[in-house]
Amino acid sequence: MGTYDKSISSGSSSSSKPPDQIDSLLSGAGYKVRSSELRTVAQSLERLDNVLVNNYLEISHHLSNDAIHYNPSDLFSWVDSLLSEFNQPVPMPDQSTLSDPAYVNTLVVPTLDPTVNAGVWTEHHAAPQHGIQQQLTVVTAMEEDPGIQLVHVLMTCADTIQRGELSLAGTLIEKLQDLLTRVNTGFGMGKVAGYFIEALSRRLFSTLLYTNRSVYESEFLYHNFYEACPYLKFAHFTANQAILEAFDGHDCVHVIDFSFMQGLQWPALIQALALRSGGPPFLRLTGIGPPSSDGHDSLSEVGLRLAELARFMNVRFVFRGVVASRLDDIKPCELQVNPNEAVAINSIMQLHRLLNSNSTHNSSIDFVLAWIRNLNPIIMTVVEQEANHNQPEFFDRFTAALYYYSTLFDSLEACSAQPEKALAEMYIQRELCNVVCCEGSARVERHEPLATWRVRLSGAGFKPLQLGSNAFKQASMLLTLFSAEGYCVEENEGCLTLGWHNRPLIAASAWQAVAEPRPPLEH
Amino acid sequence: MAGSNEVRVNESKRVVPLNTWILISNFKLAYNMLRRPDGTFNRDLAEFLDRKVPANTIPVDKVYSFDVVDRATSLLNRVYRPAPENEAQWGIVELEKPLSTTEIVPVIIFFHGGSFTHSSANSAIYDTFCRRLVSNCKAVVVSVNYRRSPEHRYPCAYDDGWAALKWVHSRSWLQSGKDSKVYAYLAGDSSGGNIAHHVAVRAAESGVEVLGNILLHPMFGGEIRTESEKKLDGKYFVTVQDRDWYWRAYLPEGDDRDHPACNIFGPRGISLEGLKFPKSLVVVAGLDLAQDWQLAYVDGLGKSGKEVKLLYLKQATIGFYFLPNNEHFYCLMDEIKNFVNSNC
Repeated sequence: MGTYDKSISSGSSSSSKPPDQIDSLLSGAGYKVRSSELRTVAQSLERLDNVLVNNYLEISHHLSNDAIHYNPSDLFSWVDSLLSEFNQPVPMPDQSTLSDPAYVNTLVVPTLDPTVNAGVWTEHHAAPQHGIQQQLTVVTAMEEDPGIQLVHVLMTCADTIQRGELSLAGTLIEKLQDLLTRVNTGFGMGKVAGYFIEALSRRLFSTLLYTNRSVYESEFLYHNFYEACPYLKFAHFTANQAILEAFDGHDCVHVIDFSFMQGLQWPALIQALALRSGGPPFLRLTGIGPPSSDGHDSLSEVGLRLAELARFMNVRFVFRGVVASRLDDIKPCELQVNPNEAVAINSIMQLHRLLNSNSTHNSSIDFVLAWIRNLNPIIMTVVEQEANHNQPEFFDRFTAALYYYSTLFDSLEACSAQPEKALAEMYIQRELCNVVCCEGSARVERHEPLATWRVRLSGAGFKPLQLGSNAFKQASMLLTLFSAEGYCVEENEGCLTLGWHNRPLIAASAWQAVAEPRPPLEH
Repeated sequence: MAGSNEVRVNESKRVVPLNTWILISNFKLAYNMLRRPDGTFNRDLAEFLDRKVPANTIPVDKVYSFDVVDRATSLLNRVYRPAPENEAQWGIVELEKPLSTTEIVPVIIFFHGGSFTHSSANSAIYDTFCRRLVSNCKAVVVSVNYRRSPEHRYPCAYDDGWAALKWVHSRSWLQSGKDSKVYAYLAGDSSGGNIAHHVAVRAAESGVEVLGNILLHPMFGGEIRTESEKKLDGKYFVTVQDRDWYWRAYLPEGDDRDHPACNIFGPRGISLEGLKFPKSLVVVAGLDLAQDWQLAYVDGLGKSGKEVKLLYLKQATIGFYFLPNNEHFYCLMDEIKNFVNSNC
């Protein structure tokens, strides 16, 4: 037993390890298994193997087609869930061999070729720490010649801006504009560079950095982004699937949408609830939206249309609009949550707007997460851009944004529908501009990666709900509607991401409030 | 039946460390679920279960990576490079300057395994393996995301491998040495090894230079059942039945395992005479049921007058190189290092 421990040390030279240490080698292969649980996992795998051997076709078919799989990284739970499939009335092979003491002993104490356990080398060859997300910079390189030079000068310019060498930065902007004249700015890196050069110029020269856009305009561009590429649809479908599952068995449900945006997400959920076995629940939908400058009440308008749809589908439905510029302006009592209803909080790209530059003192996000938690939602669906755009240093943010948005624009090239494509690009450009030009409270696009959100949400008293293989499959099916080949859905420890050419761009996760009061932060 | 499976499981447990046993048994379990008897494959569940990792331009353990799309084919190549000495250069993707103007830096084009059906360049096991290759061999590695079966049968994987080789040769930023050229090697495990062979053939036929082939328990086969297949069937994670499934999924429909893609020096094999075929390092795991085919391949290369070195690892199972917790792993790395650095 001691020999196993040596061969799977994580590379630290300290003599004692905490009992829940993760096996570092399996971690490098994408699996999180506690060292203390390795034997149990092996036993379970063996039991499954025996079961399969005796009844291959039937069981294989069942596991492949009917069973829903969750978080394959957590091998212990995954294997266990497969085993528990067989506590159901599926014909079982003779189990008597498992109780044979000789067999069990062999399971527990396998003999091992002593030469394979010399622990001396594993100290030096620990698996790369994929978990250090703060240092992760994902790049899908753009190779077109003018692109490479533009990228270099753009990054140099960002660097000079960070160091406060503003006149040098100005010169570099001129150089960039000159370089731009020699490339095709209609597509590819030329187009992306153009946006970044414009954003940098605004940062340096413009006095008016933050223009108030009309709600109508924002919603219009959002709608086109929704049509031109699958990101928002992925967000909606995935969140809806999770909400639908969470609402199972509940007769009174209340969805609180943090950014109503013409309610694009909700017809599908209304329909799914209408069709669920046992009949639809009484559905309340609260949509939060910003105040409109022209007095136009789009919240109510859309709410009425949704009510009509619900009536048509025989779903008892009530809509309420709540106007707020910022989520932290809202008092939870305004949401009028009833104690007997199951609450779902839906946040599509909203939580990051509550962050500020100070990683330790984030009162807005803490405040909002606290009242969310106090509402005791049975589910909170969170979709966020999978990017590190809230780093303290401007250069790091700029670089991350450069790679992120160039990948995002690249994926949009596959869209041929006009004017949806052009308007979607405008939508993205505004977001990009906010990341690059703005500071302080004006910079609202403070995207943080999934790994950071996991820590933040866990610390705020939420535990993850796993998104399973059924949600994954649905997301994959969605992608077949978009003819472009580069989109990819990935499972990431219970969450799903959608990306382009292996670069995740948007991450969907689901959470539930923990029963106890806020747990101590893990160090 | 249960009794004999128990024997099989105990045998495999005896020869690998516990975490390796878990890893490979996990794959075996998952793959059993994914292959359907009618020859179709549950690709959705496969992608869901596969553990993937993104590239990272920030060095981890002195290796960084980035993805590049080959615009001509839309295929993704993941490039792994040793970290720059100068920390100020971390995070920058160098696509203009060559790898070196003075020294030779071997570029290993790696085709991941998975029996033509499973895994991707960004699968965690292969991303980790490629990183270790870079560290141990002081080489640059380009991992190719070739199209997989059964959706894409022969010769798609070879076409993609060939495209990748040409792409690598045409990258100025993969050149090195005083004569500014790309020092390209082909490598692969299982189906990747098979791909490496066939790409090397195409390269030799077209006059494109490949300095060496590294085949890690390459996937070869044939119609007849060899001794090793009969003796080791089901004993160390792999069964003849599953091998058959993968060949049926890859080879042209209705064709058999004597197809030249599968049985290199068999009755339908294509002669390598007169071809400037590169030197080969063939690694055979002594507990791999396909070893007779691999040994026949080594034999065939020798008889065709091609330079080949056999590394026979007696107590190794398939996948021994996924975790660096055994002597075979280190032996392998040393051999590869010498193989790609011997020209310098």
